[in-house]
Amino acid sequence: MTLALVHLLPELLGTYGDKGNVEIASWRLNKRGIAHEVLTVGIGEAIPTRADLYFLGGGEDDAQIKAREILGTSLSKAIKNGAHIFAVCAGFQLLGATFPASGGRTVEGLGIAPIETLSAPKRSVGEIFSKPSIPIAMLTGFENHAGQTRFLEDQQPLGNVISGVGNGLGTNIDGLITNQIVATYMHGPAFARNPELADWILSRVVGELAPLESEVFIKLHDERVNAVK
Amino acid sequence: MVGGRILLKLAPNAVLELSKNRQVVLVSGTNGKSTTTALITQALNSKSSVVSNSTGANLFAGLASALSQDLSAPVAVLEVDEMVLPWAIAQTKPQLIVLLNLGRDQLDRLSEVRVVAQKWQGVLKTLPASCAVLADADDPFVAWASLASVNVIWFTSGVHGHMDASTCPECGEILQWQNQGATYSCTCGFKKPNPEWILRGNTLLGPQNQEIEITSAIPGKAGLSNAARAVVVSQYFGVDAEDALRVISKIASVDGRFGTLIVKQTRFRLMLSKNPASWRETLATSAQGPKDVLLVLNANVQDGKDTSWLWDVDFAPLKNRTVLVSGDRRLDISARLTVAGIEHGIVSDEKSAAEIFGNVEADLIASYTAFHRLAKGVKKS
Repeated sequence: MTLALVHLLPELLGTYGDKGNVEIASWRLNKRGIAHEVLTVGIGEAIPTRADLYFLGGGEDDAQIKAREILGTSLSKAIKNGAHIFAVCAGFQLLGATFPASGGRTVEGLGIAPIETLSAPKRSVGEIFSKPSIPIAMLTGFENHAGQTRFLEDQQPLGNVISGVGNGLGTNIDGLITNQIVATYMHGPAFARNPELADWILSRVVGELAPLESEVFIKLHDERVNAVK
Repeated sequence: MVGGRILLKLAPNAVLELSKNRQVVLVSGTNGKSTTTALITQALNSKSSVVSNSTGANLFAGLASALSQDLSAPVAVLEVDEMVLPWAIAQTKPQLIVLLNLGRDQLDRLSEVRVVAQKWQGVLKTLPASCAVLADADDPFVAWASLASVNVIWFTSGVHGHMDASTCPECGEILQWQNQGATYSCTCGFKKPNPEWILRGNTLLGPQNQEIEITSAIPGKAGLSNAARAVVVSQYFGVDAEDALRVISKIASVDGRFGTLIVKQTRFRLMLSKNPASWRETLATSAQGPKDVLLVLNANVQDGKDTSWLWDVDFAPLKNRTVLVSGDRRLDISARLTVAGIEHGIVSDEKSAAEIFGNVEADLIASYTAFHRLAKGVKKS
């Protein structure tokens, strides 16, 4: 069966160039001759539950709530079917038990990651730089969110924050890694600035990957890392 | 803009005082502020003297400085930053507000589109009936915010769809788009208002059966619709469309936009692009232009420090052209073009680009701070 990447609801979850992660994943697979398809699922379209890797991006409050409604139980089914998820910002928050909305409301999340998100007293905006908890190069991104995310049980973060905020609540960590989920507050997009993160996630889905000449991404990564040093 | 800053320090009410006994027009929106302001200023100038900030200084000090230029001018036409609009309305008590569009732009500074629309709505609902709003009906955020005011003149130039308007600004439900994105409506009752002024092709149709042929020396669809808006404003102030168009149709370059910058042997046509909507417009215009094109990307405060939006831009119009990139963030744009399959080279600056391009016409599309640096070298026509 062909490897299937699913880009979920780009109209709702795509405020910060998030489709870049999908395009870069596809490009990196193409460069290695790995056959795959990219399914973009728009509003009103059926959400496949047997694909291999799902992408969730960032979005505004109302859009995040609509995305929650539309996603229903599709992603928990996909997870049961063995899928992987890469989620950024609002997409990360959606995976948890609850997330905040305007007017002090709390919205029930998808409940597939043991996290909850609360509204933060101050918006976190700026470059974020972290030391990954997995064996890849330092992580760089740009964050812009008004949420702070708490682990409801002992979990592995994606990175330990060196500068920036990430999950907040004084934890100095960003994102989450489980067996099937990688999530982060880093956009930029994350795969453009962190080619090793892209490959690490793809290799969890397709197995070991051949090395790839992708000089511009490595240069971009190094430039961004040096910019915060 | 030191003058304006000092003025506001010495007299915090300077803008309020300097606006008294004047007719004030404010122009705001994500894209097209400077051009529309310049077109309106020149059109109204045929009737009475006008002060304006057409160099793009559209924050507090810029407004103060513009208003203090000529105390005898009875009209002021001011472009205003989206976030400064509520303050500018309170201070200047305008007679007319021109609202162009709202789209994602400098998200790190301006915040998300809905936040800006809410700020606008909050102040527009306080406007007296004596203040008219010339509002773009095609843009759901402008329309939603403007519906809060009592005196609206609706305008359409037939823009289809909106990349940030998947959900309704009123209730958050999914916004329904009809007729290939020409109209929109929501179950809550919010829908595209009926426009009174319609730009169809080059013809501007008005509420009293006016049919005005719009001509603009500024290339592109946006240039034409901004010229049409300037004609509507002229009519509002009793300036004949013919008189207004005589002036407007001759303006080919505003503050360096579409101006010519000569570097070594290359004659660059300078274009400003600063967010996905303006890149789309500029790339479409540039696709009709010369084969060679240089893209310059910075990410300073005024450009927006976050470059993620590059991935929202469709760079396909650059296919089969000779593309070079430079600027502080040339690697970001290079990565983007690489994935989009657009062949390109990376150069250190416009001089290196000119060495490669040689004795040709070329387009130079630059982000805000790069544009303003380069615009200083544009020959005044």
